[in-house]
Amino acid sequence: MNSSYLLRRIGYGLVLMLCVVILNFLLIRLAPGDPAMVIAGEMGGATEEMLESIREEYGLNKPVLTQLAIYVGNVARGDLGQSFFFDQPVASLIAQRVGPTILLVIVAQVLSIVIGVVLGVLAARKPNGLMSGFVSVFATIGYAVPVFWTGIMLIILFASILPIFPVEGMQSVRLRDAGPLAKALDIAHHLVLPAFTLAIIYLAQYARLSRASMLEVLGSDYIRTARAKGASQRSVLFKHALRNAALPILTVAGLQFGNLISGALLVETVFNWPGMGRLAFDSILRRDYPTIMGVLFFASAMVVVANLLTDLSYRLADPRLRGK
Amino acid sequence: MALLEIENLNVTFNTRHGKVTALDSVSMHVNAGETLGVVGESGCGKSITALSVMGLIPMPPGRIAGGEIRLNGENLVTASDARMRQLRGAEVAMIFQEPMTSLNPVFTVGDQIAEAIMLHQNVSADRAFKDAVALLDRVGIPSPDSRARNYPHQLSGGMRQRVMIAMAVSCRPKVLIADEPTTALDVTVQAQIFDLLNEIQRDFGAAIIMITHDMGAISEMADRVAVMYAGRVIEEARADDVLDTPQHPYARGLISCIPALGKDDTELREIPGVVPPLHMLGAGCAFADRCDYAQERCRREKPALVNHGHHPAACHAVEEGRI
Repeated sequence: MNSSYLLRRIGYGLVLMLCVVILNFLLIRLAPGDPAMVIAGEMGGATEEMLESIREEYGLNKPVLTQLAIYVGNVARGDLGQSFFFDQPVASLIAQRVGPTILLVIVAQVLSIVIGVVLGVLAARKPNGLMSGFVSVFATIGYAVPVFWTGIMLIILFASILPIFPVEGMQSVRLRDAGPLAKALDIAHHLVLPAFTLAIIYLAQYARLSRASMLEVLGSDYIRTARAKGASQRSVLFKHALRNAALPILTVAGLQFGNLISGALLVETVFNWPGMGRLAFDSILRRDYPTIMGVLFFASAMVVVANLLTDLSYRLADPRLRGK
Repeated sequence: MALLEIENLNVTFNTRHGKVTALDSVSMHVNAGETLGVVGESGCGKSITALSVMGLIPMPPGRIAGGEIRLNGENLVTASDARMRQLRGAEVAMIFQEPMTSLNPVFTVGDQIAEAIMLHQNVSADRAFKDAVALLDRVGIPSPDSRARNYPHQLSGGMRQRVMIAMAVSCRPKVLIADEPTTALDVTVQAQIFDLLNEIQRDFGAAIIMITHDMGAISEMADRVAVMYAGRVIEEARADDVLDTPQHPYARGLISCIPALGKDDTELREIPGVVPPLHMLGAGCAFADRCDYAQERCRREKPALVNHGHHPAACHAVEEGRI
């Protein structure tokens, strides 16, 4: 992998982030009426003096381009503004909540890819078999069912009928003073339902996609070569075929990351998971613009990073893409 | 007893036209150190015969409906999957027609050869890779050390076919099946590959089954020849005999189609018509519709592969002395 490629990709990512910041900036400017009025309205009162002081505080009396430059400069320094509602810097609000969200999103992503791909590979083994039919039906249902409904159904199932998983929050209060291992296990226990709820919809897609991708690869000449060597069925499926079938799966996994973050917003709300999704939900309800903008900025950054990683892993998986 | 004997092999496929017979009572054999050429047009059953020996017929839709394939007396048709995996690559190996697509694009060629070695020999990964490098050297790949670390897309077609050959001979198989190994290659490279196969055979003493539609390849390589048509063997003899005195009208046609250098014969010859689709085969000789000598009996009754004086041929006209 050459470094100029890496630098170029990082450069694209930075340009993309700048676009996000500018759009973010325009968001509050495009809201109907005077931004000072919008802000004042959310604060619950608006005398002319207050408006003036708001304009002063937010630099709204300066030319728009100057405002933009100031905003970009602030973001570059990590200053995402002050939350109206929480009355804290947005950056520290996000910093407190980004960990749980990343944990949830990554666990859900790993669960959906691993389970989905294994189901897809098993289905591809016998394209007209029982497993294949199950995957198709399951994929259709998984894709069609909205994530908040799955979440609520799981809560009903595991709260009243079979209470084995916690359905709310991330940690048990009683374990506040427990050791690190007990705490980690407690978090994992809390993570089961939200992670599965989030994973199900994507899991179904990965299963379908990897089934189709595997079927295509299994017809290739090099698979016949592998069998002619005497390779076992498992080695043919998971080594020879999957490495080749993985390329489209990787692409989709990268693209899905953005959807996964927006899905996390819903799941966090349903399960009261203390992450960025809940923060976004709360700040949208309260029209807390700086927080919304901050969350948006941060979520975009995560998607850009995920896409960059996907691009790089694509080149790791396929030697033909290297050195080009 | 021959090393590999195929006896009355019947292979059927379920298709949208119903069940078709891809191989109809195919028998042939090959001895150790010998090269058997199998010739015929596309769709005549050459590759199906090869894949049957390898146990690689896709089932379903394919099915071995009868007959035996014996390797050293062991019937491969009834062998378990596990036993076939042991034999594949170790005792019987195959080189495929398309070197461009027959190697896995995501593994280095050295690893792919080493894998074949490790599947059948109890050696470390290190040892296997060193053996792979030695094999690459043996099949004439320059700077084998660095080439072993190349991916298939970094090699030319001829080199890839050499890699395929190195992989196929890595465990010193007793039977090496080469399915049109040079069809996709340049003529100059073809000659090199033939030379290599001949050398390998001398060194390793393997029996080679050479599948081709190229009569030039047969004269270059084969000791004996089986000519196939529409899923049947229609003539079988020593290569010289088939080339010099072909019996079956189809074999005669094939040989008269070889353009000769230096002759004034400017027109390319061909056998009129095409191989009939397998689901349209009637009761009689499958070649009858394309045959100048066909009579009523030919359309009614399948001729058996019998020696009518010179060498075995499945033809009523030969039997009746009409040719």
